[in-house]
Amino acid sequence: MIQLPVLINFDPGIVWEFLFSDVVLEGARRTLLISVLAQAIGISLGVVAAVARHLRIPVLSQAASLYIWFFRGTPLLVQLIFWFSALPQLAPNDFGFGPLQVHHAWFLLSPFQAALIGLSVNEGAYMSEIVRAGIESIESGQMDAAKALGMTNLQAMRYVILPQSARVIIPPTGNEFIAMLKNSSLANVIAYPELLYESQTIYHRNFKILELLTVASIWYLFFTTIFSVLQAELEARLRPEERRRGLVASIGRALRPPASWYGGTGDRR
Amino acid sequence: MNSAPMVQIQDVHKRFGRNEVLRGVSFDVQKGEVVVILGPSGSGKSTLLRLISHLDSLDSGRIYVDGRLVGYEERNGKLHALSDRAASIARADVGMVFQRFNLFPHLDALGNVNAAPTHVRRIAKGEAIARGTELLTQVGLADKLHAYPAQLSGGQQQRVAIARALAMNPKVMLFDEATSALDPELVGEVLEVMKQLAHDGMTMIVVTHEMGFAREVADRVMLVDGGVVVESNTPDAFFDHPQHERTRSFLSKIL
Repeated sequence: MIQLPVLINFDPGIVWEFLFSDVVLEGARRTLLISVLAQAIGISLGVVAAVARHLRIPVLSQAASLYIWFFRGTPLLVQLIFWFSALPQLAPNDFGFGPLQVHHAWFLLSPFQAALIGLSVNEGAYMSEIVRAGIESIESGQMDAAKALGMTNLQAMRYVILPQSARVIIPPTGNEFIAMLKNSSLANVIAYPELLYESQTIYHRNFKILELLTVASIWYLFFTTIFSVLQAELEARLRPEERRRGLVASIGRALRPPASWYGGTGDRR
Repeated sequence: MNSAPMVQIQDVHKRFGRNEVLRGVSFDVQKGEVVVILGPSGSGKSTLLRLISHLDSLDSGRIYVDGRLVGYEERNGKLHALSDRAASIARADVGMVFQRFNLFPHLDALGNVNAAPTHVRRIAKGEAIARGTELLTQVGLADKLHAYPAQLSGGQQQRVAIARALAMNPKVMLFDEATSALDPELVGEVLEVMKQLAHDGMTMIVVTHEMGFAREVADRVMLVDGGVVVESNTPDAFFDHPQHERTRSFLSKIL
């Protein structure tokens, strides 16, 4: 028998063994969970920051600019390590008294809390730029009309400007979410047991690094593919001239504003 | 009875950068009066309307609507801008109709009319729908309650915009070239609604190029040019016996 040299040390059986294992599924679930939560909070922070800046609300507007500058200008990895490992240094002891007592323990975040805050706050800075572009895409006559009817700036934003800017905001937000699914893997450095972290715990025991990275990548690709398709469908739905049908289209249809906004349907006059 | 003028405009100045658009405009509008403002483009007519509804801030002078200073508080002879909330409450008393309609494209006709009553005045939904339906019927759009702006003709959109402004029960209505963006065959239906409003006793300030409307409906016609009121008179006197050379040359170009 001639012994063939091993060209690639890769065992597909290991991939199959772990792809649907409880540990990996639990990691995938946490990746999805923290991504959805962080994206939702990030969108909220982004809307607040963008509206504050657009309306030039005193103090809040400057704070928003500082926030965006800082969190877009420093690496996400550094921010995650800060929330988990460096935040306790800001309050080494209890201080204050009575109802104003501040406990140093409040500054000790769990990996989940630190990862959620880190990912959300970072995302909010990017989302605010996307929301700002959406707000600025609406012609000034809409704000004039809202204000002439007696709406305050915030009412005009809430009922007139933001609902219309959703068209511009939603597509890049889909991109942000897909990036979020992948960036959440950085939370493994602060021991949040998401998909990559769980895969690592396995390969630290069996040394099947390539197999376990393959397992993790399959799940990341699965999630990003699903959401890319949803995003593409949603974008198509937001463009009135494209009217596609199909199984996936029905999901997009549920999220779509009425086509009649855009003169797509209906009898003229 | 309050015999004070509904709108008082006192020595209003406004500049955009180096361009002084209004150079001291003063006039009063009585309750129920219809004033038509004529003038070449760039003469400051639209700016004046935007100041009355406080969509822009003035540089000096005073504007009062129903005795209340618009957009400002006067303390020791100095003007202090009102807060956003206080200014918006005052703005609701002034209805504005825009050249480009500016309907909210994401809401249907009824949604456009009800947006401010429900969100600003917090009127109950059922009541708002009843009132909105009544207003849209009044402008001849009873069959278009649930049509979106993109499904309506320009004339229909402008009539929705008028109903939308009326929904806040304004004390005065401002029309900023309300028919200028319309196809000629659609102008009539909008002017008809405006005539009816005037007939019902609404105080109106109308910037327009529609001379027929000015002659027929206006109580007073005004020529604004170069940022000042050049001439102000009854329609008959204004059109038949203009006092100023500037008015004569303006009328000769358009009539």
